Amino acid sequence: MAKTIYDVIVIGTGAGGGMTIKTLCEAGLRVCALNAGRRLDPEQDFRFHRMPWDMKFRGFDDPKRRATSYGYMDNEYTHAAWDHEIPFTVAPGTQWMWPRCNAVGGKTNFWGRSSARFGDIDFRAASLDGYDVDWPVTYSEIDPYYTRVEKMIGVASTVQHRPSNPDGTYLPPFKFRCLDFIWQAGCDRVGIPYLPDRCAQLTQPHQGHPACHYCGECTTGCDVGAFFSTPYFFLPTAEATKNLELRTDALAKNILVDENGQASGVAYMDRKTKQEVEVYGRAVVVAAGCIESARILLNSKSRHWPNGVANSSGQVGRNLCDHLYGESARGYLPQLIAQPSFPDHVADSTIAWMPRWQNLKDPHREKFIRGYSVYPDGGCTEFPWYARHLDGFGSSFKREVKRRYPSPVSFGIQAPTLRSANNYMDLDPEVKDPYGIPVARMHFAWDDNVLKMWEHSKQACADALRAAGGVVEGVGHSPEIPGSSLHETGTCRMGNDPGQFVTNRFGQTHDVPNLYVCDASVFLNCTDKTTTISILAFSLRTSEHLIDNFRRGEHTAA
Amino acid sequence: MAGQGVQRREVLRILGTAAAAAHFPGFSKWGFACGHIGNRTFEIKPAAYRPQFFTPSEYATVERLADLIIPGDATPGAKEAGVAEFIDFMVANTADVQHRFRMGLAWLNARSEQTLGKRFLELTAEQQNALLEPLGFKDKARPGEEDGRAFFALMRDHTVIGFYTSEIGYKELDNPALRFYSESPECPHKDDPEHRHLPPPNL
Repeated sequence: MAKTIYDVIVIGTGAGGGMTIKTLCEAGLRVCALNAGRRLDPEQDFRFHRMPWDMKFRGFDDPKRRATSYGYMDNEYTHAAWDHEIPFTVAPGTQWMWPRCNAVGGKTNFWGRSSARFGDIDFRAASLDGYDVDWPVTYSEIDPYYTRVEKMIGVASTVQHRPSNPDGTYLPPFKFRCLDFIWQAGCDRVGIPYLPDRCAQLTQPHQGHPACHYCGECTTGCDVGAFFSTPYFFLPTAEATKNLELRTDALAKNILVDENGQASGVAYMDRKTKQEVEVYGRAVVVAAGCIESARILLNSKSRHWPNGVANSSGQVGRNLCDHLYGESARGYLPQLIAQPSFPDHVADSTIAWMPRWQNLKDPHREKFIRGYSVYPDGGCTEFPWYARHLDGFGSSFKREVKRRYPSPVSFGIQAPTLRSANNYMDLDPEVKDPYGIPVARMHFAWDDNVLKMWEHSKQACADALRAAGGVVEGVGHSPEIPGSSLHETGTCRMGNDPGQFVTNRFGQTHDVPNLYVCDASVFLNCTDKTTTISILAFSLRTSEHLIDNFRRGEHTAA
Repeated sequence: MAGQGVQRREVLRILGTAAAAAHFPGFSKWGFACGHIGNRTFEIKPAAYRPQFFTPSEYATVERLADLIIPGDATPGAKEAGVAEFIDFMVANTADVQHRFRMGLAWLNARSEQTLGKRFLELTAEQQNALLEPLGFKDKARPGEEDGRAFFALMRDHTVIGFYTSEIGYKELDNPALRFYSESPECPHKDDPEHRHLPPPNL
């Protein structure tokens, strides 16, 4: 039997992979997509409106499984969708959490939906403050891709004219709740912006997808697809073209190269049969997620690429950046005590946010460079977590829990680390996963700059809460462990110099022109914004660049 | 990942990690659809709950403590919500809190016998409350009772989680997750953005 040669092999079906698959299939290219896990069935694998008391462990999952789980988003409802089989290691002194949803659609099944564009303040940050290097793209180049992505996925927000946050094309915003009006007044008094977040959750029917029903269970999966995920939004489109073959339980092992060192396909482990399988293509797109993509490239050693494919720069796996997450301050709003309950939980914490307000005019105004954003959360959430901070017991305690129910407040920081030679991943020289593939080894510590942001945010959030008439009950004592944000970036940075960067400005690797990267690993750093919408925009651009290259005949050789 | 919410992380911290396996016959006071709707492993509710971890006397004490922490009053409390069953089940499945619960209950009975000559369950409600108040109220804390306070905090955390994740607990708070909405819900007091003139609370 003659071996099948696809036009493109795409590794991963999350935001980057899903966008790439859809774009290539629509352009008529024949795509074989590899996904490390299975397809999800929303009715089985999502929360599907099951209440805690419907669940054996009240939704918190079996404690003996929890030792291997990824915290809040990996719970009794979603446990089976997260990968717990592939381990990783940490270097001495490193803490790291690496939540991976290897099911089809990846983390888009459960993502936080905050969707702010990066701007020139991010792309040209190095020119502004002298640290690191600029991105090889400008905002005006990426702007049209953001616009197209927003049209595809639907983002609810408003036009805000913020210097750090370019505006886009938006669905009607979420309406402000009581606590938003109160916080906004407080933030105004201390000079902090308080605005509708950019939330990719459909406030009206959009592109054939139904509007949200505001159940507030988004991070356990949406049963109707009322927020963007690739299984609801992109993969059906791609499959309808008949140009897609999607292979599930296919754990990518390494990139295959031909006698010229160019990509010729992918070797993967079939997780069902435990057999190694090879699949061939004229081009390969790696979109497995920042750390996994780097693991695959580093594990692709050959005569041509002794340090891993596309790694002549030695930069694959380096330059790892992440968001510091943590609760900067918490307290309550006395105005709302004992008021009737209100559905404050309908979009988790992404109805409003406090977008970066530091170092906007003078990049060195604060004790740190760059800036951070804050997500406020609170009101009537599913569980009265504030109860453990209340005193006493008995009827008075029970009454106080009820009185406080509409009033609690929490502020979560999202602060970017700076590129550092000390933060990276490599392959563990000894430990292998159950399929014999070397595991990722993490080397990471928060830098001084991000810890200064963390300190700054405690004061700023406490000030804002007090200015809103609120009571501060605590400021954050320690951030979440690294990796908690799921926003890791930088392991295959893009840039014009092949000696310093893994890919060119289009996400095409310098060393291997028919090998592309379509996830957050090409980002130079993680900015104060979330990554998904930018992964979508950059992947769309990379995909179209790839299509152009096909049309120009650059990837025709078998 | 924005949109995280703090509540689930907070609870996971309380509930801890690691555990021993346990055969589990089911609850009497709260049923569960057992994980996945489609997998047809519905549990049959037994007539009476059989504790998985606690001895009968420990279990009775846990049930009494939960009832004292969140009592039935104008609305149902921990006992009606079957919180003791939840606590027993979680402790049976969480190896690293088993010792703390067992030692804590022993501490409570020892304290009770030492000061009042009876085991905790044999005390009157007033005596039980009097014994617990220094453990549960910060301004009544007494030196020498640190172990008791630590146990009471553990017991209270588990009671709170068990109660407010039950249907009774959701109704107690009028938890909005019990409802769906056709439109993004909006503040009803837009003429008073700072909410300084709301109707007086009725609680």
